[in-house]
Amino acid sequence: PPSPYKDRPWEYLESEEYRATYGDKPVWHGYRRNHKGSVPPQRTRKACLRRGKHVGTPCPICRDRNLLVDFRNVKLLDQFICPHSGAIFHPIHTGICMQQHRRLAQAIAQAQDHGLLWIHVPFVPVPEEDFSNQHAAVGKTPPAPALKGPGQAWYPWYEWQQPPAAAVARMRHNYQGFLKENYPDTPPS
Amino acid sequence: QRSPPPAERKAAQPRPAFTDEAVQTLLYKMTGLDLRKVFRPVKKGLRPPHYKLMTEAQLEEATRKAIEEAKTKLIMPPVLNEREPIDDVLAEDKVLEGTETAKYVFTDLSYSIPHRERFIVVREPNGVLRKATWEERDRMIQIFFPKEGRRVIPPTLFKDENLGAVFQQDRHEDVLNMCIAQFEPDSPDYIRVHRRTYEDIETHGKYDLLRSTRHFGGMVWYLLSRKKADGLLIDMISRDLVEDAASLITLYHMLHPDCQSAKEAKEGKLQGVDLIKAFVKTESQREGYIQLALQAYEEAMATSSAS
Repeated sequence: PPSPYKDRPWEYLESEEYRATYGDKPVWHGYRRNHKGSVPPQRTRKACLRRGKHVGTPCPICRDRNLLVDFRNVKLLDQFICPHSGAIFHPIHTGICMQQHRRLAQAIAQAQDHGLLWIHVPFVPVPEEDFSNQHAAVGKTPPAPALKGPGQAWYPWYEWQQPPAAAVARMRHNYQGFLKENYPDTPPS
Repeated sequence: QRSPPPAERKAAQPRPAFTDEAVQTLLYKMTGLDLRKVFRPVKKGLRPPHYKLMTEAQLEEATRKAIEEAKTKLIMPPVLNEREPIDDVLAEDKVLEGTETAKYVFTDLSYSIPHRERFIVVREPNGVLRKATWEERDRMIQIFFPKEGRRVIPPTLFKDENLGAVFQQDRHEDVLNMCIAQFEPDSPDYIRVHRRTYEDIETHGKYDLLRSTRHFGGMVWYLLSRKKADGLLIDMISRDLVEDAASLITLYHMLHPDCQSAKEAKEGKLQGVDLIKAFVKTESQREGYIQLALQAYEEAMATSSAS
């Protein structure tokens, strides 16, 4: 069944129910993964809900249907960020499944983008360049002559041009036997 | 060390600019140099602290180096007018109409030219070849020559709705640093975000957040050009920074030489507390508060000198 806090997930973290379940500790405190051997696999399980079936021991976020990973409930997101370095905890440390970890990372990036979470701002020195905008690339340049009036063509070869006399004489000499009689020199109307 | 200010710049030009020597010196003095705030620890990772054993001379040397470094961090960003939009058409080729369905952006990728001299042109589907607008220019330059801290699409933080949430967390300095990283100093977004920040600081009186940062000068310039110096004056006097208050009034007179108190100050050559009193009598809107603060300061001075 869908959670009653579906549209306002941040209210759950202020409620009595949350306080009674978790107290002051973070959500993932006390969770222990079940795995073979002393060294846990370096990745947690892929997802707690696969093909419609829930696993036996879900991760700290999937086991509580009211904990929704959303960029607006900053208090939940803060529990998964290291208070000293500002980095997100590895899923091995918190025990959440990889799918939730991916959604959590996306929600944290969104919250930082909206300004709800702290983000590290690098110091960018003041740019020392010429701000006068006089250069032709960014300033006003005089328009081309063809743009001033509507009658003019953009390129001169858009209209018919008289070819040079030497070129005409050369063509006539090359195609001597094939020229039609009375072929006009003026442009066709 | 900045060069000493020239004595009494006359109003030969109609208005002093932000970059004038005298103005910059006054703003720099007002900014203060709290080394603890400039070099405060940033969230970087947990490491055990370093301890060094130093003699007096070494300590002085280290403090001097720290002050030099802090000065580079306190260089003020420029205050410019909004840039003119670019709308130059270079060519109109009707032959190309209908051949393409998308715009093409041609960027000059030569490495050694400054970004402001880079030619970026756009060929539209109707054959018009025009210079790219400022937004297109910034996006293209960020794609091909990425700068640290700048994103191709600006964060949603800079929209008006989301700025309010950030201001409630008192993170004005972070917002301004991100703004410098993201936008060019003459872009309309940069100017809008800065104005919004300064107004929020002024309505809530949170002037101390920006003290000892590089944004303090810009804030003072903005407030003085709009004649809203009262809140800042009260804040300075209540923190016993009377020299800063006097330099604030001097700067106000430089910016608005036609007002009553400027003329009085020039005639009487007033200094320090007298200057503030002359200003309070004629120009300020919150006379009562400033008088109270001045009284409290004078009583504190009297008791400390008496004891």
